[in-house]
Amino acid sequence: RDLHTFELQAPTRLIEWARGNRVCVAGYGQSDGNEILQLVPPPTLLTKETQGLCPERDFKVECGGFSERPVYSLKYVPDTSLLVSSGPPDSSLQVWQVSAEDSDVIKSISTIATENGTWQSWAKTATISARAPWVLHGSRLDRVQITEVESRKNVYTAASRGSEELSGLAFLDCNTLLLCCATGQLCLADIRQPQSLVEAMSVPSAPCSERWCMGTRHGAQGLELSSQPVARLSSRGLLTLTDLRKTSEFLALAKARVPSPGSGAEFLCVSWAPALAGYLAISGFDGTVHVYDTQSWDSSGREAEPIFVHKGHAFGGAGGSRDPPLVTVHTWHLQKPRTLLSAASDGSLHVWDWVQPCGKC
Amino acid sequence: GAGQDVGRSCILVSIAGKNVMLDCGMHMGYNDDRRFPDFSYITQNGRLTDFLDCVIISHFHLDHCGALPYFSEMVGYDGPIYMTHPTKAICPILLEDYRKITVDKKGETNFFTSQMIKDCMKKVVAVHLHQTVQVDEELEIKAYYAGHVLGAAMFQIKVGCESVVYTGDYNMTPDRHLGAAWIDKCRPDLLISESTYATTIRDSKRCRERDFLKKVHETVERGGKVLIPVFALGRAQELCILLETFWERMNLKAPIYFSTGLTEKANHYYKLFITWTNQKIRKTFVQRNMFEFKHIKAFDRAFADNPGPMVVFATPGMLHAGQSLQIFRKWAGNEKNMVIMPGYCVQGTVGHKILSGQRKLEMEGRQILEVKMQVEYMSFSAHADAKGIMQLIRQAEPRNVLLVHGEAKKMEFLKQKIEQEFHVSCYMPANGETTTILTNPCIPVDISLGLLKRETAIGPLPDAKKPKLMHGTLLMKDNSFRLVSPEQALKELGLAEHQLRFTCRVHIQDPRKEHETVLRVYNHLKGILKDYSVQHLPDGSITVESILIQATAHSEDQGTKVLLVSWTYQDEELGSYLTSLLKKGLPQST
Repeated sequence: RDLHTFELQAPTRLIEWARGNRVCVAGYGQSDGNEILQLVPPPTLLTKETQGLCPERDFKVECGGFSERPVYSLKYVPDTSLLVSSGPPDSSLQVWQVSAEDSDVIKSISTIATENGTWQSWAKTATISARAPWVLHGSRLDRVQITEVESRKNVYTAASRGSEELSGLAFLDCNTLLLCCATGQLCLADIRQPQSLVEAMSVPSAPCSERWCMGTRHGAQGLELSSQPVARLSSRGLLTLTDLRKTSEFLALAKARVPSPGSGAEFLCVSWAPALAGYLAISGFDGTVHVYDTQSWDSSGREAEPIFVHKGHAFGGAGGSRDPPLVTVHTWHLQKPRTLLSAASDGSLHVWDWVQPCGKC
Repeated sequence: GAGQDVGRSCILVSIAGKNVMLDCGMHMGYNDDRRFPDFSYITQNGRLTDFLDCVIISHFHLDHCGALPYFSEMVGYDGPIYMTHPTKAICPILLEDYRKITVDKKGETNFFTSQMIKDCMKKVVAVHLHQTVQVDEELEIKAYYAGHVLGAAMFQIKVGCESVVYTGDYNMTPDRHLGAAWIDKCRPDLLISESTYATTIRDSKRCRERDFLKKVHETVERGGKVLIPVFALGRAQELCILLETFWERMNLKAPIYFSTGLTEKANHYYKLFITWTNQKIRKTFVQRNMFEFKHIKAFDRAFADNPGPMVVFATPGMLHAGQSLQIFRKWAGNEKNMVIMPGYCVQGTVGHKILSGQRKLEMEGRQILEVKMQVEYMSFSAHADAKGIMQLIRQAEPRNVLLVHGEAKKMEFLKQKIEQEFHVSCYMPANGETTTILTNPCIPVDISLGLLKRETAIGPLPDAKKPKLMHGTLLMKDNSFRLVSPEQALKELGLAEHQLRFTCRVHIQDPRKEHETVLRVYNHLKGILKDYSVQHLPDGSITVESILIQATAHSEDQGTKVLLVSWTYQDEELGSYLTSLLKKGLPQST
């Protein structure tokens, strides 16, 4: 098992892969002076074999930018050198230019404004560059739109249904959108038919209000949307897997053994492994990241046993009176099947991998 | 210098007419003149001793002091050279070591000799931390703790009220044997900081140490031998403490050796300069000397042939010659063995070759050495990263920052970060470039007692918090500045006082006689200027304070009267006011 721990100057709640195997992180502090950093991972992470000691073990800051608002979401726009970010206090988006060859400053080049209603949270985003560089964004179900990044022209607006808060959205392919509400509902939309919004897939009802978030397969281009189940995670630890072709029932239902989150579900995160079929990871409840093998799951809702639990962040902090660190985000390495990156509220950034337990290892 | 990675650091500062050279390093990658800084930059003609007021060396690493003997004995400099006590003790050892290898092994000719090293060190003045050293009447320097290696210091250079702080290499986080750099809120006009690791986010020391120990342990467990080539001083001590602690904790029996000669002296110096190590070491020193290792023993050449596992620290660090290379040749053929390179290796050395992946090396006498042993690299060097640089700037509060960097990369982001957070200017010059920093020096001036008494008597009582504006004459004679009253200045200079008088003509439409106009003006002014002394004199003129107003008839036009308003320079304000008042005309009545 390999673990590399790093300390960022400011904690991040996003880890995004960008062009050329770069990793982006950004600060989410209340005051301005938040930094967006594009990092070059150490060569250890780029090679297939794991080496204990290697010439360069450090991340290098390739370029950085300054954001006046906290950065809650940052997405790289494929096939461009642009980044789109969003964060409170409203649902507008900021567009950034990365030109690593000329200068190491990430420049803010424009803002995509949105109409501000009475109550607007920050916008969730997703990007694609099929017909043109687009960003799908919105903070509520009735405020979902697609904007062309460079021209800032609106390309699509979803028909409004309810005004539930969104917790995530994704492009399933260049015509199909998947929206996830904080209440757990999933909605499908076809951008060629702007008036219809297919509502689907409710979640098991819960006594107390929970928040939900979703995870879709990364980089699953070329594969039919139908064959990729969507995972949803609730703040109580419930996990549902849904096949988008048969939305009336769950493919699987399980419960993760997690403590009930104290401060709400701010950092709930669930993601599928890009290179291992059926493996997913969850985080956001405490200082750990869980990895599960969903292939053995059924729809009974039983408690599932994680294949691996990364506890590094919980032991990292200075200890004493400080609050234990909370994992803010995790992501899978795009090529190395068992490697993950995770960040926590104390500024730590871990890169770790795990081995399949074989009896007692 | 200080342009490339393990570069030749050398910075020239001109401050208030004084010239100071900071560091005099050698580039380890070159074998010709490029290894030394280009001293012709300093002055084209004239002797360096006349031009430079002093030379300061920050620490004993060769990329900061390696060119010193060449500079002082071959180029020619006889002025003072300042460095800390540990640096003065250790520098000549490293210089001699490097000289031996370069000349004896490589057979170079244009290099400094042992005698030159000795002569050079005779010019060195050693300083203590936080001790203000007067270089001459105006120039003073002070050393601050820099961490990094034993004896490394940051220097403050002060002339009058202008100052520069040069950091050399420093480290803001303490490690096992050294503390962290520290400076007070000295507010220099300029802070010159190294920024080699500014763009790096290092993985945690714990991880690196854990991996290092794991590798060593695994090798020793399977009966292999571990070779760790080190420079005599520096990280070697850190690794020794690390291994010693680990061996103790895990109750390991395999022997650890420290090669003799240079490194024995090194431990001696660490004991000698115990105050330069970190607090923990000093505290435990009473019970147990950290540098008296229980598990680490002196090495004998013969031990290399002993069977069984062992760990050996041997010099020099890049495997370019000496004992470490000898041991390497003995052990390279066995795949159970391991060599761990703990630092950067210069091109051309065996260390560099094996780190690049070469497994067949050509040795002296055309022998080919096949390297089957495991080759690992790990850097434990202690430099400040971006966070550390920001911390230091926060501590010192400089007005300007200049970054000296290891790579020629642009660091616009760090520059903006510094400028935004601290509202100071940040500079990043390239090799050979000159940067000019503007300062606002305070110039002290002596004020004559009489003037001081007089000025403070006028106006409201002096408020300690508010600046009081005073008037006087500044006399600059020879090199002194004095502020005196104008009368005294005139007297001293033997000048006569000149009076300036302004006269202004104001035309007024008034067909009556002159004396009637005068009366009108008098009444008008009397009514308005109630706080001033307005008088009507028997000769027909009006005075307002010391301003004179007279009326005459216009030569061509009887209906127009010409008022002559006349005042001295001192009454300029009132005079102008009166003039504009009169220009507005007189009221109709009277």
